Amino acid sequence: MAGVGFRRWAQALSRGKGSGLSALLPGYRAASGGSKADLPSSYPLTPEAKAAAAKKYNMRVDDYKPYPDQGEGYGDYPKLPDTSQQERDPWYQWDHPDLRRNWGEPMHWNFDIFTRNRVDTSPTVVSWSTMCKQLFGFIGFMLFMFYLGEKYPAYQPVAPKQYPYNNLYLEKGGDPEKQPEEVVNYKI
Amino acid sequence: MADYKAAPLASLPKTLDPNEYFNLSLEYRRAEEERSALRSNLKLQYQTQLNNPHRKALIDDPALTRWMYARSHTYPHFKATSKTSLSGFLFGVLPIIGFWYLFKTDRDKKEADIKAGKCIRKFALSS
Repeated sequence: MAGVGFRRWAQALSRGKGSGLSALLPGYRAASGGSKADLPSSYPLTPEAKAAAAKKYNMRVDDYKPYPDQGEGYGDYPKLPDTSQQERDPWYQWDHPDLRRNWGEPMHWNFDIFTRNRVDTSPTVVSWSTMCKQLFGFIGFMLFMFYLGEKYPAYQPVAPKQYPYNNLYLEKGGDPEKQPEEVVNYKI
Repeated sequence: MADYKAAPLASLPKTLDPNEYFNLSLEYRRAEEERSALRSNLKLQYQTQLNNPHRKALIDDPALTRWMYARSHTYPHFKATSKTSLSGFLFGVLPIIGFWYLFKTDRDKKEADIKAGKCIRKFALSS
């Protein structure tokens, strides 16, 4: 069986028109799996192309908005709102509950950063401006106070430490034969 | 709470969105119904494949395939505009040349200091 197949293949090869690797491959492919039309392509220029692209991505024609064509490599991929998966309803029966996504739903271009382990755009307890003011206000105030403390130090009066035995002349390695100079650390 | 404003990384909660309470026109409702119909169709496709007792293979998600394809095939849609060229320069060229210049000048200055004998050489791995 395998021998027959090999012989047929060799015959087709000798008759074939292509060159290089394409000559070795069969000139047919399976009908299963997606087609090339299902894959993303270039920016849609006509309204018909926009409608076809919306159908391809399973979106309404009004909802489908491609990224502006500025040569950044998006092609006809839809521009979905920048919301994280954490914002989605936790009680709805998603097909993939950990990703909070249904099968076949168009994925955001940056889907991998909007998973629940990463960037979260859900509503905050206080508004962004309040948070910024509180954080930078506190940090700014502390920095200012530390700066003032460096510039105008305030502590109890201190003096250099005074040592006995002529400022520890012998302990500091002075000559025992020589008479050290008298150090008087007091004033009466 | 009424002065809560949305920000790029902090969206507006649905309960504070005025569009949930006012302006519920027929077009808006029809749009929502169309979206729901699309969702239901996809759910039906998925559930049919999921509950098929003769299925042995994984269920392919075409949306996932499209996303992976789009993310990896950006070069055919790339155009060298001023914006993309500026990005390329700022993130590709400038860090390399900038760091090379900074390290070179710093090291040369240190070498000159050592040769002139002005530098205290400590026994530490960092400078």
